[in-house]
Amino acid sequence: MNNHNEHKHGRYVYCVAESVETINLGAIGLDGNEVYSVLADGLCAVVHDCSAEAYASEDEQTLHRWVINHQDVVKAASERFGTVLPMRFDTIVQDTEKGSVNDNIRRWLTEDGGSLRSRLDRIRGKEEYGVQISWDPKRIAETVSSTDPEIKQVEEEIRGKSKGLSYMYRLRQDKLLKSAMEKEAEDRFKDFYHRIEGCVDEIKVERTKTGEERPMLANLSCLVLREQSAYLAKELEKINSMSGFFVRFTGPWPPYSFVGVE
Amino acid sequence: MAIEIDEGNLKQGLLGLVITLVEIIQDALRHQAVRRMEGGSLTEAEMERLGEALIELDSAVAQIKEEMGLVETVKNIRGGLDGVVNELIDDFINPQKLFAAADRERLN
Repeated sequence: MNNHNEHKHGRYVYCVAESVETINLGAIGLDGNEVYSVLADGLCAVVHDCSAEAYASEDEQTLHRWVINHQDVVKAASERFGTVLPMRFDTIVQDTEKGSVNDNIRRWLTEDGGSLRSRLDRIRGKEEYGVQISWDPKRIAETVSSTDPEIKQVEEEIRGKSKGLSYMYRLRQDKLLKSAMEKEAEDRFKDFYHRIEGCVDEIKVERTKTGEERPMLANLSCLVLREQSAYLAKELEKINSMSGFFVRFTGPWPPYSFVGVE
Repeated sequence: MAIEIDEGNLKQGLLGLVITLVEIIQDALRHQAVRRMEGGSLTEAEMERLGEALIELDSAVAQIKEEMGLVETVKNIRGGLDGVVNELIDDFINPQKLFAAADRERLN
């Protein structure tokens, strides 16, 4: 087999693929390390030699460079192998009492072969897309206020009221609007989810990010068959053209969100 | 829980914190006022008085913030508090971070 620097005690793993030959992708790894494959039982791990410590840095730019580099290697590997199972950034296999680092990789590929293969099957021919839908609450609130019967009724009642009373009615109206908006967000989320569900293979609901310019309504990772992304794009186009709603559509990415053990 | 206060301007930071607390109490007062109103236990005259009292409180707090130059400070403290609360809730409903760590451990 190969005798790449067996003295280094760690292997940084980029991805796993089905393969019957060892390959070398050249010095494209993190910090210019040489990327090659460790083979066992029809599967291979795409790795570079490293020390057993995790890649950690206080410097955000360095981290950013590493993560991009990690993605580039996964991309290069998937061009070579077709479908690959991408690993999380900083996945490192080490020497143990059970054996050398390469023995440990081979044991992992062999013992977990069934699970690794079924995880590869799940993503074969598919890509991941990110879908983030946000809304303009001011504009939606206008629509909701002009259609919600209870809110409209309070609006009627406010007319001609004294200062103190109309302040109280305003408070009541604000409360009604708040719960109507919450219901609207829930209804919209369900509606969009079902529409997107019809165009994709799998959906994963991610946590919405706060502190963005516009509040986020839905943050979804979608697993899509390569030839079907156009359907998704078309449906998202429709959502994006609705007044007050905005869609951010990114990808294709390697299917990082769909490679975990279920 | 850490609330960031500008050390170079302790007085301003402390005042900001106090006003932020006052605002949070104000929110609770408004909330309670609406509940009483919805519950139907207030006469029209009582509602009128309550409304006017709340208006006065609103403008007093707004005036203090303006005069003491605290508008930004209070906004930042409230933003920080919201962030703390959001993070806590996220961790309660989304324990995926723990799974990710366990996943990595399994490999080695």
